[in-house]
Amino acid sequence: MGLSPFRRAGSLSSHSASPSKAFSGRQSRLKSRTVLFGLMAAIFLFATGCSMDGMSTWDALGPVAEKQLELFNVLLWAMVAVFVLVEGVLLYAIIRYRKRPGQPKPPQIHGNTTLEITLTIIPTILVLGLGIWSVFTLFDLEDPPTTGPDALHVNVTAHQWWFEFEYPDTGSGKHIITANELRIPVDRPITLSLESDDVIHSFWVPKLAGKLDMIPTHVNEMWFQADSDKIDEALPVTLFGQCAELCGLAHALMRFRVTVMDQADFDSWAAAYGPPPANTEQAKAGQQLFQQNCTLCHTIDGPDDPALSASRLSGFLTGGDITPVPAPNLTDLRTRQTLAAGITDLTEAHLREWLRNPEDLKPGNYMSSRAVLYQGGNASLSDQEIDQLVAYLLDIR
Amino acid sequence: MASITAVIPRPTSYAGLWGWITTVDHKRIAVLYGVTAFIFLLIAGAEAGVIRMQLASADNDLIGPGRFNQMFTMHATVMVFMVIMPLSVSFFNFVIPLAIGARDVAFPRLNALSYWIFLFGGILMHMSFVVDQVPDAGWFSYANLTEKPFSVNRGLDYWSISLLVLGTSSVAGALNFVVTIINMRAPGMSMMRMPVFVWMTLITSLLLVLAFPVITVGLIELTMDRNFGTHFFIPAEGGDPVLWQHLFWIFGHPEVYILILPSMGVVSEILPTFSRKPLFGYPFIIFSGIVIGIMGWAVWSHHMFTVGLGPVANSVFTITTMLIAVPTGVKIFNWIGTLWKGALEFTTPMLFALGFVALFIVGGLSGVSHAVSPSDFQQQDTYYIVAHIHYVLFGGSMFGIFAGAYYWYPKITGKMLNETVGKINFWLLFIGMNLTFFPMHFLGMNGMPRRIYTYSAEFGWENLNRIASFGYVVLAIGMLVFMYNVWQSRNSRRVGHDPWDAPGIEWSIASPPPPYNFAEIPQVLGRDHYWIVKENAEAAGTPITEPEALVDPSSIHMPSPSYWPIFTAVGVALIGGGLLSHYALSFVGGVIAFIGVVAWSNEPAAAPPKEHH
Amino acid sequence: MAHTAEHEYTTTGLNHRKMLMWVFLGSDCLFFAALIATYMVYRGQSLVGPYPVDIINVPVTTISTFVLLMSSFAMVQALASTHANNKNAIVGWLMATAILGAIFIGFQIVEFNTFKNEGLTLGGNLFGATFFTLTGFHGAHVTLGIIWLVIMAIVGAKGRLGPDTALDVELLGLYWHFVDIVWIVIFTLLYLIGGFDAGPAALSGG
Ligand code: HEA
Ligand code: HEA
Ligand code: HEC
Ligand code: CUA
Ligand SMILES: [Cu+2]
Repeated sequence: MGLSPFRRAGSLSSHSASPSKAFSGRQSRLKSRTVLFGLMAAIFLFATGCSMDGMSTWDALGPVAEKQLELFNVLLWAMVAVFVLVEGVLLYAIIRYRKRPGQPKPPQIHGNTTLEITLTIIPTILVLGLGIWSVFTLFDLEDPPTTGPDALHVNVTAHQWWFEFEYPDTGSGKHIITANELRIPVDRPITLSLESDDVIHSFWVPKLAGKLDMIPTHVNEMWFQADSDKIDEALPVTLFGQCAELCGLAHALMRFRVTVMDQADFDSWAAAYGPPPANTEQAKAGQQLFQQNCTLCHTIDGPDDPALSASRLSGFLTGGDITPVPAPNLTDLRTRQTLAAGITDLTEAHLREWLRNPEDLKPGNYMSSRAVLYQGGNASLSDQEIDQLVAYLLDIR
Repeated sequence: MASITAVIPRPTSYAGLWGWITTVDHKRIAVLYGVTAFIFLLIAGAEAGVIRMQLASADNDLIGPGRFNQMFTMHATVMVFMVIMPLSVSFFNFVIPLAIGARDVAFPRLNALSYWIFLFGGILMHMSFVVDQVPDAGWFSYANLTEKPFSVNRGLDYWSISLLVLGTSSVAGALNFVVTIINMRAPGMSMMRMPVFVWMTLITSLLLVLAFPVITVGLIELTMDRNFGTHFFIPAEGGDPVLWQHLFWIFGHPEVYILILPSMGVVSEILPTFSRKPLFGYPFIIFSGIVIGIMGWAVWSHHMFTVGLGPVANSVFTITTMLIAVPTGVKIFNWIGTLWKGALEFTTPMLFALGFVALFIVGGLSGVSHAVSPSDFQQQDTYYIVAHIHYVLFGGSMFGIFAGAYYWYPKITGKMLNETVGKINFWLLFIGMNLTFFPMHFLGMNGMPRRIYTYSAEFGWENLNRIASFGYVVLAIGMLVFMYNVWQSRNSRRVGHDPWDAPGIEWSIASPPPPYNFAEIPQVLGRDHYWIVKENAEAAGTPITEPEALVDPSSIHMPSPSYWPIFTAVGVALIGGGLLSHYALSFVGGVIAFIGVVAWSNEPAAAPPKEHH
Repeated sequence: MAHTAEHEYTTTGLNHRKMLMWVFLGSDCLFFAALIATYMVYRGQSLVGPYPVDIINVPVTTISTFVLLMSSFAMVQALASTHANNKNAIVGWLMATAILGAIFIGFQIVEFNTFKNEGLTLGGNLFGATFFTLTGFHGAHVTLGIIWLVIMAIVGAKGRLGPDTALDVELLGLYWHFVDIVWIVIFTLLYLIGGFDAGPAALSGG
């Protein structure tokens, strides 16, 4: 499948090996079956648990995610150490001091101030150390490096339930607006301005960076970068993203993709950005249909007209059953890989399915609930008309 | 006004159903709280079951997104506000007066009022299912998803108004316990002799009293936005949805300590009892509890690391949050110190208490890893958080509550729960809990977001989800075993007044305790009062075998039952119900509540002695 | 009001009900703090007018503030008379407190009405929402206090208030003084400091 999530072969074993190493020293000291069993279970879970699949955070492909993972790994081992130590002592006490028949009343100890103070100071030092390190990391990751290539800027706007990507300046002179698929050149910092048009969403590409919320009227800035030396597959590779803040019905289906490509590929994609040519009869008919039925919400001939998008937004916010709503810009739909916020691959069959009734693929979406032609459930379009729309949108010759 | 009380004669007897409805006896109110909250636990647990069934396999379409959102919202709201909190209050009610050597709480009728408002508030929340307009924005219901037009039906109104009603109940209850603990201790019971459970109740109650008004304001603002045209959280009109987050979490973080401190108190009673050793480092445990209570106010933004508050705010909240691990650690170390060199007896309450310590450490440590904000950017809103909250809430709070239930059951009923069944109960819950929630750590780190009703197979989350869903089955069986244990106990033999050879004052009186608790208010000798008493008796050659003698109840002047608490509670509930249906109903409710309050203050707390039989 | 619990033993020597009132007022503090915080967060954030500078009338509210302060003085007198067991003075001062409170509420009603006529509404802008919510909840507190005062005055008129039941009056006094103090804070923040705020652009300058 062309869309297969990015995977890294071989790295699985390196992640699962280290826990067992750290645990093994302790096992010999504490000759307890129970402990052994528990640790085996934990190791087993580690081994099966840390898979490198699609959304995994164990598999950083850029400096931001890497630093965050680094901190997490240190934390993880610090916490595992504290866990083993404290639970170990607990278990030891449980086993060693269980009541034996005929045992006299144990010594009535009330406390030990020196011990208390020691056991307060040690954790304080530990957490302060980790805390200060994380402060440095925070400030470190605040801005992209100033040396190296120029950053590419992208404005991201979240909508219920899809993402809009706007490239004000791709270097090709084109002003690009697209949806649900972010294309980025490799080895170049990407700066993003995140905003939302409706409710709070959250922008998250685990392999590139931790998430940042997208809040109406707040503009949040973040950056990340994909490093070619961390990617051991031929470019372009596609990474998964997902909205991470509950944003209503289709929150689970609000996904997106990030395609990491060579600068050259990126440039040619940008240069090719434009409306479908509509140079077959079939497509021409589709174009007509599109103008009649779809342009209330969708734009298909380049960047959205700001006035139009504003009126769609206010139509949406004021409610009402059938109103214009912000909808993905379909100019470059034919160059995309996925449909409806990354929930399925973009194939002719899926697009047909979507156009017949979007509700089947994505329960709750606003296309089926707000467009006139879906008010009866299935589209008030004939199969032939749907074929024409597909031919137009995907530029099928 | 006095005429109202004259028209309706005051209830005089504790017999029958009316006896329960008009009761002001803290022990009966405790039972009411406990039973009601347990029923809510079954409901919320069943909702968790629906969640787990839906997530058991990839691309499942058992229930749609709408229902799913309702399920986790109600699951969490009910678990937090209608299960853990009232179960804790149930223990407060039963144990506190007994543990401080008092005959009742300071305001018995206020206590009854708290219960009835809680019950009606809970019912009001669940009326949303009846009209099928169920809250669905999660337990912290972030604005502006909660605003029209994003949440058109009345679900969120049910949520906010029911929580306002429940909040009244919690604050009234907490006020009562603060006064009771500070003011009604038996002679000799200085602050530094109070059992740890009493201390934790005091801190919890103070947190409640101070934290609830904050969420109350948030809820009022939300309700006004939805019903009266304000724009507190509507960005298009200048409002700021992030303000809701601040208000919620300034309440929300103290709230999580409200949920855990009572269980920490319970455990601090049980570990010494079954180690036959006094609590190790008593002053440090108390002091760390106080520190947690104070520091809990300075960490709320760790729930908002991804909001974009900037590196300075994130740094500050990272450090304050990490520091909170220190006082919590002090408690853990002292519990282990209590076990050290003890003579541990693994009764069911002890097993649950040890389970609490073991599981809470796991939850606490994952909490510390959220506290580090750069790494939390990856964890926030994933199943890694879900793992954390269930380790602290189920492994922590719930295990503490189970420990307390097994521990005090003989005192409440005079009968023991079966120990063998209890141990089966424990192991099922312990294993089930780890099966359900441990895999969630990995799910989270593998990128599974929370609050998603479906996921596709290609992400590789299916196997771990299966394990988790299987774990739920084990948990459910564990719960059924507990219910069986309670049910079978009706036939079990009566036990003595002190089956555990425990140190608390409550064990010196009969099981179940007489209505007046203590025939004579005890003179407290020390921290582990009853151990000292028993030791002294032993030394004197007259070991104690009998509880304190019973006396003629009519010689002790006790608060009398009253209609007015439930009457007033009906009024309060109607005010809320009216906001959800017809405002006229709210007005009627207001009038009822007003009459109730006036009649109440006209009625003496205790009927004149002649009314006693 | 007949309370038998007055002289019972308490650990601290403080009466239960008095302590209850203190803790409750602590809770109420946080309630007003959160409302005030909302006001402060939204200060100068209104997108449309009327802005405070357009409508807030400091001199008039200074008068009503003074009236409320005077009611606290009357409350002190009422308590003193209770201790002195002077029935007429008790009733008189309680009623005086209630009437001064009612005058304050009267001012507030007039103020709300004027503001409404000048276009300030709950839904109009954030200033309206925060202003009416905060002062409205304060007004509700005062109103409850007035009802309580009147009931106590009736009880007093029946001759049931005196040194033995002084606590009943004292609790009412605590509540009343608290509500008064909260008003001082509100008056300072909403009128003296915030009363001259203009639109969002103007505020950011100074
Ligand atoms: C009982 C309730 C409870 C308790 C006690 C805690 C305790 C803690 N919690 Fe937790 N928390 C929740 C309930 C609770 N939490 C809930 C419900 C949420 C989610 C809300 C939602 O989003 O739905 C949450 C979320 C949450 C977050 C937000 C995560 C996110 O959404 O991104 C964070 C971040 O810092 C956090 C941190 C902590 C910390 C540091 C503690 C500390 O108090 C833990 C301290 C304990 C220990 C550390 C273990 C014992 C100590 C030692 C053995 C000593 C040695 C240790 C060291 C040196 C480290 N919690
Ligand atoms: C307060 C404590 C608490 C407790 C005790 C629990 C207990 C459980 N929780 Fe819950 N949970 C939360 C608080 C709690 N939870 C919170 C705060 C959230 C966040 C919600 C949000 O995102 O807004 C959450 C979210 C949450 C999720 C994530 C949902 C999502 O993000 O999509 C899941 C998923 O598995 C889950 C599962 C469980 C399970 C399996 C249990 C089990 O331990 C339950 C055990 C109980 C039973 C097994 C009862 C058995 C009942 C019967 C046997 C009888 C049934 C019969 C009748 C009803 C008559 N919980
Ligand atoms: C009332 C507004 C509205 C109308 C009319 C409408 N759509 Fe949509 N459309 C949307 C919205 C909103 C979405 C985003 C749905 C989602 O992912 O949640 C969408 C999504 C799509 C997508 C998927 C885009 C992507 O980026 O994956 C396609 C393709 C599409 N619409 C085609 C059409 C066609 C063809 C028509 C006319 C026959 C049409 N739409 C009419 C609102 C509308
Ligand atoms: Cu958008 Cu979740
Ligand atoms: Cu918290």
